[in-house]
Amino acid sequence: MNARLGLAARAAFTLLLAWLVLYPIVIVVHDAAESDALATFVSRPGEWRVLWASVWISVASVALAAAIGVPLAFLFEWLDFPGRKTLGSLIALPAVLPPFVGVIAFLFLYGESGFVARAVQRLLGLGQAPWRLQGAGAILLVHAYSMYVYFYLFTRAGLAKLDASMLEAAQALGAGRWETLRRVTLPLLRPSLAGAALLVFMTAVGSFSAPYVFGGGFRVMTTQIVATKLNGELPLAMVETVALALVAVLGFGLLRRTEGDDILTALGKGTAPRRRPIRRAGVRTFATTAGWVFAVVLLLPHLTLVLVSLVPYGTWTTETLPPVLSLVNYRRLFSEAERLRPLVNSVWMAAASTCAAVALALVAGALVGRRRPWQFRGPIEALLALPWALPGTVFALALLTTFSTHDPLTLRWVLVGTTVLLPLAYFVRSLPVTGRAVLAGYRQLDPALDEAAASLGAGRWATFRRVTLPLLTPALAAGGSLAFVAALGDFVTSIVLYTPDNRPISIEIMSSLRVSELGVAAGFGVILMVLSAVVLGVGARR
Amino acid sequence: MSAFVTLDGVRKQWSHTVAVGPLSLEIPRGEILVLLGPSGSGKTTVLRLLGGFEPPDAGRIVVAGEDVTAVPPARRRCGMVFQHYALFPHLDVGENVAFGLTGRGTNDPKVAEVLALVGLAGFERRRVQELSGGQQQRVALARALAPEPRVLLLDEPLSNLDPSLRERTRRELRALIKRVGITTIFVTHEQEEAFDLGDRVAVLQAGRLEQLATADELYEHPASLFVATFVGRANVLRGKTAQVLGAGPGQVLVVRPERLTLADAGVPGVVRERRYTGAAAFYLVETEPGDRLEVLARPEAARVGDRVYLEAVRVLTFPEERA
Repeated sequence: MNARLGLAARAAFTLLLAWLVLYPIVIVVHDAAESDALATFVSRPGEWRVLWASVWISVASVALAAAIGVPLAFLFEWLDFPGRKTLGSLIALPAVLPPFVGVIAFLFLYGESGFVARAVQRLLGLGQAPWRLQGAGAILLVHAYSMYVYFYLFTRAGLAKLDASMLEAAQALGAGRWETLRRVTLPLLRPSLAGAALLVFMTAVGSFSAPYVFGGGFRVMTTQIVATKLNGELPLAMVETVALALVAVLGFGLLRRTEGDDILTALGKGTAPRRRPIRRAGVRTFATTAGWVFAVVLLLPHLTLVLVSLVPYGTWTTETLPPVLSLVNYRRLFSEAERLRPLVNSVWMAAASTCAAVALALVAGALVGRRRPWQFRGPIEALLALPWALPGTVFALALLTTFSTHDPLTLRWVLVGTTVLLPLAYFVRSLPVTGRAVLAGYRQLDPALDEAAASLGAGRWATFRRVTLPLLTPALAAGGSLAFVAALGDFVTSIVLYTPDNRPISIEIMSSLRVSELGVAAGFGVILMVLSAVVLGVGARR
Repeated sequence: MSAFVTLDGVRKQWSHTVAVGPLSLEIPRGEILVLLGPSGSGKTTVLRLLGGFEPPDAGRIVVAGEDVTAVPPARRRCGMVFQHYALFPHLDVGENVAFGLTGRGTNDPKVAEVLALVGLAGFERRRVQELSGGQQQRVALARALAPEPRVLLLDEPLSNLDPSLRERTRRELRALIKRVGITTIFVTHEQEEAFDLGDRVAVLQAGRLEQLATADELYEHPASLFVATFVGRANVLRGKTAQVLGAGPGQVLVVRPERLTLADAGVPGVVRERRYTGAAAFYLVETEPGDRLEVLARPEAARVGDRVYLEAVRVLTFPEERA
C-alpha cells in the first residue's frame, strides 16, 4: 500500500466510524435544538428533578460501591484465611453476568414477594409484605450490589502491583499502620480508585434495568427518556437524551482528570506485600465468617433465579418456599418454537453484531494499530471509545432518530421497524470493548515480527493471516466474548428498538414478569446466565 | 569496645530447611558493618530483622541498651535504604525526605540540610521519576537520614547503578556515613564492595555467620573453606598436588593466585591459558595429576604451552568437610 492510498483508507475509515457513532448523536443534538421541546424541558421542574436524580444516584452509587468493594479488596488481598482463593473469585462474579439478570434475580430474592420478604412476613406473622423494594433506596441497593465489583477488582489489582518496600519505607520512617495507609497506600491506589469510580459512575448514569424495575414512581433520566418516548413526545425525549449525554460526558471528563495514570509508573520493580496470615484466632474467625457470609449474600440472588425457574406456573402462592419444583418451564421453552424465538433472536443478533464489531476493530488495528504514520489514529481511537462514554439509552434514541427518515443524500435510511436496527445498536455499543481489545493487542505485537515475515517472503495478506491474526486471537476472543455477552443480555437499547420480529430475551423476560409467569422469566434468566458464563469462560481461555 | 547494636542468638525459621541463625553479633557505635554472602545466605533477612520487618523466632535485638525485639519498625528509629529505593512516586523529592519528619513538612530546615549533605541541594521540588539512578539512591539516603535514626540499614543500595558509577558512589557513601558518624549495617553480595565500604565484614552462608572480621583478616586468615573461596580468588586443591604443596592427610589446600610463583623448581605443569590484564597476567597451569591452578604473575613470565614449575609462598589448609 503506498502512502497516499493508506492515507485515503484511513480517512475513509474515519468517516465511516463518524457516521456510525458520531452522526446519530449530532442529529439528536440538532433535532433537540431545533424543536421547541427545549423550552418545555427547561420550564418543567420535573425534568430538572429527574436529571438531578440521575446525578445524585450515580454519585451515591460510586460511594456505596467503594464502601463495599475497597475493604473487601484489602481483606482478600492482604489477609489470608481459609477459603480466600475460592471466595475471592466468587465475589467477582457479578462483573461477568448481565446486569439485567442481576436485577431480576434481586427482585425474586428481596422484592416484596421474594423469598426474604416472605420469610420475614411468615416469621413476624404480618398480614402483608414487610417492605416494598421500590424507589431510590432500592435502586441504590441494586447498584451497590452489582457495581462494588469494579472497586473490588480495581483495588485488588492496584494492591497486587503495590511495592512492599514502599510500605516498609514508610514504617521505617516512623509511620504507623493507619498513617501508612493514609499517606502511602491510598495515594498510590489513586489511579485504581479513580478508574473504578469512573466505571461505576458511567454504569450508574446509564443504568436502566434497576430504575426501570425498582424505580416505582422514582424516575432517573434513562427511564424518563423511555417513558417520554412511549408518551409520543419524541422531541422532548431527544432533549432529555442530550441532557443525559451531557451529564455523562461531564462526569467522564471530571473523573478522567483525577485518574492521573502516570503515577504508578513505579520506580523500582519491587514485589507485592506478602499476605499476612491472621494470627489472632478471633480475628481469623471473623474474617473467615465475613468472607463466607459475603460470598453467600452476593451469590444468593443467582441461586434464587435457578430456584424460581423450577417453579411451575400458578403453584406458588403464599408459601415461603415454592411447594412444587419441576423442569416443566425448561421443557416448554425448548419444545415450543414460539417460546424459543427470543433466545434465537438474541443469539443471532449478538453473534452478528459481535462479528461486525470485531471485524471493524481489526480494520482499525490494521490501519492505525502500530505502523507509522499516525494520521487519524487519535480520531479513530476516540470514535471507537465514544459509545462507552454515552449511556445506552442515548444511543438507542440517536439511532432511532437517525434512521427514521429516508434521505440518502444525508446518509439516512428508514431502518425503524426493521430487524436490522437493534443489532446495529448492539454493534455500535460493542465497538469500545472490541476496539480497545484489538488495539491493545496490536500494540503488544513486536513490529519486528512483520519485518521478519516479510523477509521470509510472506506478503501483506499472508503476514496478517499467518502471523498477526494468530497472535491477536486472545485479544479477539476476550473482546468478542465481552461484546457478545453484553449484547445477549442487553435491555437498555432493546426496549427502545425491538420489533415483534426480533424480540430479545430481556424483553421476553419483562413480559413474562408482567403476566406473572415467574418461572419462565427466571428460566430465561438462567439460560442467559449460563450462556454468558460459558462464552466468557471460553473467551478468557488462551 | 562496647556494643551499640547487639544481636543475641537471633533466629528466624522460614521452613524446615531454610533458617537464619541462631546469630549473635555486636556492632560498636559508628561502625560500618557489611553483611556479605551469596544470595540465599540470609543477609537481607538479618537486615529486615534489625529493621523490625520480620519478627525473630528467638533471640534478642538490642539497640543503644534498649531491647527492641518487639518494637515495631515505625518506632525502632532505624533508617533504611531499600534495594530499589522505594521512593514514593506520588511525592516530590522534598516531600519524600520530609516524610519521616512528623508534622514539620518540606519547610523543615532538616530537608535542605540532608539534601545538601547528599549533594542534592535545591532538588526539593523535583519529581523523583525525573532523577537518575544515582540521584534516586541519594534521595533515598537523605530520606533515611532525615529523622536522625540511631542505625542506618542499607540493602544493596548500589546494585542498581552502572558499574562505572558504583565504585565512585561507594567511596562517597563511605565518606558521608563516616561524616554523619551513624552506626551502619550494609548488605551486599559483592566482595569488593564489602572490602571497600566496611570497617568489618560479616560473611554469611546458609543463614550462619562464617566469620566476622576486618577485610585483611578475612583474606589472610579465613576461618573456613567457604570464606577462603568466597572472599577473593582461590585455587582449591585436593589429592596429590595439595600434598606436595603442604596439605596434610584429609586436608583441603587453598592457595591464592598471587601466592603462587613460576619458579625454577617445584610442582611441574604446563601453561594452558594466559589472560592478560595489563599490569599482570593470569596463567592457567595444569599439573601432572590434572589439577588446574590459576597463577598471577608478570605479563611476560610465560607463554601458553610452556613447561613451568610452581612454588607456593603461602597456603591455607582446612579440614575436609564431610558432605
